Amino acid sequence: MPQHETGTHEEWHTASSELVAAEKEHMRAGDELARKRRELPWVPVEKEYEFETEQGTKSLADLFAGRSQLLVYHFMFGFGYNVDEQNPGCTGCSFVADHFDGVRPHLNGHDVALVAESIAPLEELLSYKQRMGWGFPWVSSLGSDFKYDFGAAFTEEQRESGAEYNFKFNDHPEWPQREGMTAFALQDGAVHRTYSSYDRGVERFMGTFGYLDVAPLGRNEKTASDWWRRHDEYETEGAQ
Amino acid sequence: MTEHKIATQEEWQMQRDELVAEEKELTRREDELAEKRRALPWVPVEKEYELETADGKRSLSDLFDGRSQLLIYHFMFGPSYEAGCPTCSSMVDGVDGLLPHLHARDVTMLLVSRAPLEKLQAYRERLGWSIPWASSANSDFNFDFGASFHEEEMRKGMPPEDQLPPIAARNAKETGTDLVSYISEMFGATAFKLEDGVIYKTYATTGRGVEFLMGYYGILDRVPRGRDEGDAFQTWIRRHDEYEQEEAR
Repeated sequence: MPQHETGTHEEWHTASSELVAAEKEHMRAGDELARKRRELPWVPVEKEYEFETEQGTKSLADLFAGRSQLLVYHFMFGFGYNVDEQNPGCTGCSFVADHFDGVRPHLNGHDVALVAESIAPLEELLSYKQRMGWGFPWVSSLGSDFKYDFGAAFTEEQRESGAEYNFKFNDHPEWPQREGMTAFALQDGAVHRTYSSYDRGVERFMGTFGYLDVAPLGRNEKTASDWWRRHDEYETEGAQ
Repeated sequence: MTEHKIATQEEWQMQRDELVAEEKELTRREDELAEKRRALPWVPVEKEYELETADGKRSLSDLFDGRSQLLIYHFMFGPSYEAGCPTCSSMVDGVDGLLPHLHARDVTMLLVSRAPLEKLQAYRERLGWSIPWASSANSDFNFDFGASFHEEEMRKGMPPEDQLPPIAARNAKETGTDLVSYISEMFGATAFKLEDGVIYKTYATTGRGVEFLMGYYGILDRVPRGRDEGDAFQTWIRRHDEYEQEEAR
């Protein structure tokens, strides 16, 4: 017999009906939060940023690629979880990025562009992108203040004197970079920042957790990241 | 000029800080809900089911494929459909890249539909998916798990067409079938656990409960215009190989 409580279909159904009421309430709370997000004021982005892309140097406005909304994922490269010379992309960010290609046609079809940016030479990003088999645009913000200005990278000075991450001030950030997603709107030629999220806020872009949250064992993890691998590393692991 | 409120970085920051507190609260409630899901009693599945797969006939326990957890998505593709439901298709687009991570967590994910296997396989190839897909054409599986209804009953019990959301008629057309046949199939997800050779049903959901499979909604909820769909929800969704044609029209 399993350790877990078992029951008849009727018992399961009664318990599930109660749970559905709680899930619906949660869903409506989520809708309400989404409404509040859209009510946030927009902040004009007045500074000019330049990115190296596969199609040459581009501005932030160019990254919208003809759409009116843009999401930029702040991808940690050359720094992060399980990173070394052969594996320069952060394992956690790689996990996040595994979610992009499947939803991208639908986002693009609904007036949203999605790109990733990293502080690294473009060739290194493209080589890692090829290994991972990704199709989303990935641009280099090397030499630009972009990642710093949007709260996902920290200068040496900030690491000494403190900086804000995820809307909280840290006296001594121990990390030069962190993960995050920033949303922008383009209107009448002007770019506005509308929303940013960091840390567990990024989980909303990681559908895998939503699937695990309905599986019998749930996330089933000792620490938040102990089981994460790059998607081409799991099999090797299993074969050991 | 935009109707939207424009602010300085500092004003934005203040309002964003307040919203972060609410977002954290919601994330913690999500964690609690996940815990409650796992606390549901497990129900032994005593009936035997045999589904058609690319590797021949398989029992439900075979479908776990060596793992202890199985998550089945009931994909709307009935026997009379000429193509799969576009909304279901948009969900599967998001699943395919995640399979290595789910497998690493001991979860096998699988699509099940009532159309004959050849139809499912041809459609899967068209959309370039790698997720396995089983046919329940010759089984009670779909009916027992609330994923199909008998058309005669559906015809008697269905609401007038103008009371259905616009997506129903649109997807019926897109799948090449009539409205009754279209809505005789039902979308949903069911989770199972295999333990000591016994299969248990642990969780099932439908309706907006499947939004966990719709990664684009979580993303759209964070962009300036949101889902931007109103009562005609999902009618903007196309199969991923159809968007460009749409733009070119």
